[in-house]
Formats: sequence, C-alpha cells, structure tokens
Amino acid sequence: MNRRGSLQLISATGAAALTASCNRINSAVGTLSSPTNLIRFPEKTEMILLTDRPPQLETPIHYFRQDLTPNEAFFVRWHLEGVPTSVDLRTFRLNVSGHVREPLQLSVDELRSQFEPISIIAVNQCSGNSRSFFEPRVPGGQWKDGAVGNAKWTGVPLKSILDRAQVKSGAVDVSFNGLDVPPLASVSDFVKALSIDHARDGEVMIAYAMNDQALPMVNGFPLRLVVPGWYGTYWVKALSDITVLPQVFSNFWTDKAYRIPKGPNGTESPKDLAKDTVPINRFNVRSIFVRPEPDETLHPGMPAEMEGIAFDSGYGIRQVEVSTDGGATWADARLDPEIGKYSWRRWRASWTPATRGQYRLMARATNAMGETQSKEQWNRSGFMWNVIQQLDVKVG
Amino acid sequence: MTPKTKCVVISLGLAALVAGCGSPSNISKETDHGIANVKMESTFDSKPDSPVHTIVMPHDEPVFRPGPGRDDFVIACVVCHSPRYITMQPRFSRTTWLGEANKMKDVYGAHISDEQVLKITDYLVSINGKPDAGQAPKGTYGE
Repeated sequence: MNRRGSLQLISATGAAALTASCNRINSAVGTLSSPTNLIRFPEKTEMILLTDRPPQLETPIHYFRQDLTPNEAFFVRWHLEGVPTSVDLRTFRLNVSGHVREPLQLSVDELRSQFEPISIIAVNQCSGNSRSFFEPRVPGGQWKDGAVGNAKWTGVPLKSILDRAQVKSGAVDVSFNGLDVPPLASVSDFVKALSIDHARDGEVMIAYAMNDQALPMVNGFPLRLVVPGWYGTYWVKALSDITVLPQVFSNFWTDKAYRIPKGPNGTESPKDLAKDTVPINRFNVRSIFVRPEPDETLHPGMPAEMEGIAFDSGYGIRQVEVSTDGGATWADARLDPEIGKYSWRRWRASWTPATRGQYRLMARATNAMGETQSKEQWNRSGFMWNVIQQLDVKVG
Repeated sequence: MTPKTKCVVISLGLAALVAGCGSPSNISKETDHGIANVKMESTFDSKPDSPVHTIVMPHDEPVFRPGPGRDDFVIACVVCHSPRYITMQPRFSRTTWLGEANKMKDVYGAHISDEQVLKITDYLVSINGKPDAGQAPKGTYGE
C-alpha cells in the first residue's frame, strides 16, 4: 500500500512532536473564559487559540477586510488527536474504491497533470461558527465570528475522478476519509459522505491549491474536499480515501454528530428539544461586521465607515440592511460587485454619529431566494448561527 | 485501508503522551496567558522542492490547580485532547459537565469507570462550574 510509507513517517514524526511538546510553554489556568490568547502554528500567522491539540484556531476579524482570506490566517478545526504532521508526496495516493469498475490510486502530480483544473471562490464556514453567542450557552468550540474564510480553491472536479473510476450503477453515497486518525480505537474515524448526485454535480472538487498556493498542513495538505455552499464538516482535510457506496453511508459523524433540528433554520427550544434531526447541510444567510471593530471608539461628527461581509449557500446576496439605532430604523448598505456565487459579498455603509454614547449597530442580509437572518435562534449543538448581526460601539 | 498503520500512529502517540505529557503537575513554571514561544518548524518552507512536507505542532496547555478529581481528569482526559477543551468553555452546570464526561465515556470510549466520571465531573464543576438552573443544554456531538 502506497499510503503505508507516508503514514509510518507520520507516526514517527508525530511521536517526536508529542515528545517535544513536553517542553511546551504552559499557561496558568488562572481565569477561565480567558482573554484572547494568540498562537502561531507552522505555516500560520498569529491566530486566536481555542484548543491546541487537536488544533482549533480562529481567524482575527481584521483579515476579513480582504476578499480572499490569506492561507496563513484561515481558520483551523480538527476533530481527532491524530492530526497528520508529515506527508510524503512520493508515496501519498488518493485512493478511489468501492462501487466502481476501475479503482484509482492517484498522486498529487497525476491530479495536477491528468485532469482539467477548475477554480472556485468559496466560503468555508465551520458548522459551529459563532457558537459562543447562543443563549443558553452550549458546549463545544466557543467560536466567535472567525471560524469562516473565503478562498480561491483550485483542483479537480470530483465528477471527473468518479467518471474515470467508472461508478457502477446503483451507487448511493460517496464517503471521504482523511489522514487524521482517532486517539483511541473506540473513537470513530472522521469520515463524511455526500449523495452520489451531489458528489457528481461538477462543483464539489478536490483542491490541491488554496489561493494559488499549496494548502497549509493544518488546512488539509495536500488535498482537501471542497463542497461549495455547505458547512465545513464536509470539507474533509488531508483527503486520502474516496469510497463509492451502493447504500447510505452510516457512522457516528453523520448519524449522531453534526445534526440539526428538522425545523426551520435548525432551531429548537432548550425546553423542548426536537425529536427529528437531519444532517447539517447548506449554509443559511448571514452577515459579519468587519468594521468598525468591537473595541473601536468612534467620534461624534466624524464619518465612520461600516463594512462587512455577507454570504449564503450560493443563491447570492441581494440586499444588506444596516441599523445604527438597535434595529428601530434600517437603511440599505452598498454592495460590492459579486465575485462568485459561493464567495462572500462585501457591503459598506457610511454613518456619522451625531452624539456621544453607546450605539448598537445591526446588519441583516437577504439572499436571492428572499431568505434573511433570524431574529432569534437556538439549538443544542450551537450550529448555523445567523441571528441578525449586532455590534455595540462607543462614540466618545 | 491501513488499519495496522493507524495502530502504529496511535500507539506511538499514546506512548509519547503517557511517557512525558500525561501529568503537567511536574512542570514547575507557570506563565501568563499569551503567545506561546514555541519554536515553529516546517521543513517544507525551508526546502520548497522537498517531496516530504513535515511540520511540528506547538502545544500550549494550561496547568490545572490541585483539587479532588484532578488526577482522574488529567489521566483520563488529556490522552485524547488538550485541557483547553475545558478552559475554553463557559461555566456550565453540574448537569452539563456530567453529560460531557459521560459522553466521553459512552460515546468516545474513554477508559474510565462510572466512579471516575463522577470524580472528573466534581473537578470540572470545581474549576469551571455554575449552579444548576433547572434545565441545562444537552451535550453536543461534534463542533
């Protein structure tokens, strides 16, 4: 097996890394809900540390002033302790197997040279982005708004690869596994799946480049599944195995985890949890303030530029409205040109605060389907936050 | 599939943890929250033509104060994840922490007894708890 060589290397260096980690710098537990803690991971800039093992790193908001999120600042979220730390491109293969006539083992070079490449600008957002805003609070990664990013992904349409493998009739699902491994045999390997129709839609792709560069290791080097318009849980990192199945895929990560209440916008009541749940899927509509920043002080009589981003699952953002008086009155923001249906879209609005005081700014995006942001929302997992965005600022 | 290879990764990883990292209590110096001064390494960066891309992960793990249940917490929980999984959470009720500890045992197969679940819960409540308020959010899977 060609993967064996590269994985053995991972195991050796992984152990070395863990041993080395004992020389780590320790932070006192001191206060919980601690102030923002920044950390640098390899190939990354300083990012907001949620957890270090496995890594969960949040993008500081100011990076969202750029339409494409720099690779070094793109958020990171792994599930399993055994994160790949070494890949040998001479031995790494993407394996395509299961309900196909021609199983494939493709090197990254073969993917680059034997298939027509495509590029898509697409938002990737963690299912739990903004989880820390839910009330009552829920356990899980306590993200603010930075578990999201927008990048130009380049690679091969999954359809092209499945066509070469010659999918047999009766295929139902396609599953995706990466190089990450569970820390205990009892922990389910992180494998996700899409329906065969979705997998062959021509847009789901296997990316070998992100913003025209190789992916950082912690963002999924050397290959990452890109599922435009869908939550990040499907964007399997360090993708190594694609399996075509003649039945519905089933495992912990789809049957128990990453499920949302079946009702509208994944909402349920804390007092009456939904009985019926479905796997999380497409993004809902949301916006994020980029400027001003939460700790910024504005001045009376001085023009202040408001700026933000808005996105949905690919229908397109039609309107963004902003309020500077806590939602009493609303005005249309200006929309920058669309740069791709799966990209986020920038919006801007000018505002000159008249007097000193505290102001509550709000932003509400609406897409081409007429879908807009929630007034209130809660679910037990803290998924799909899209409550009308609020930002409290001081004018002084 | 390469299940055997995966076992190698796991066993080496666990061995390293058990050998050196299982008990932060032997680390004498505590530093303030801040940027970890851990050496960053990526051999790919220094040798762009190399076919082998390797990084070394930094770690920045909190030290936990003494208290009943601390040893059970350190031994059972830190094998699979950083204790930052606890410190990043808001204060939760005992019901919620008990749900989380039971989830680790029943769903993820942590090697702990029911008795240890209670001890670990006591410790979690002591460091990051709040009074029960009637209902509490059920534990979540995935994040």
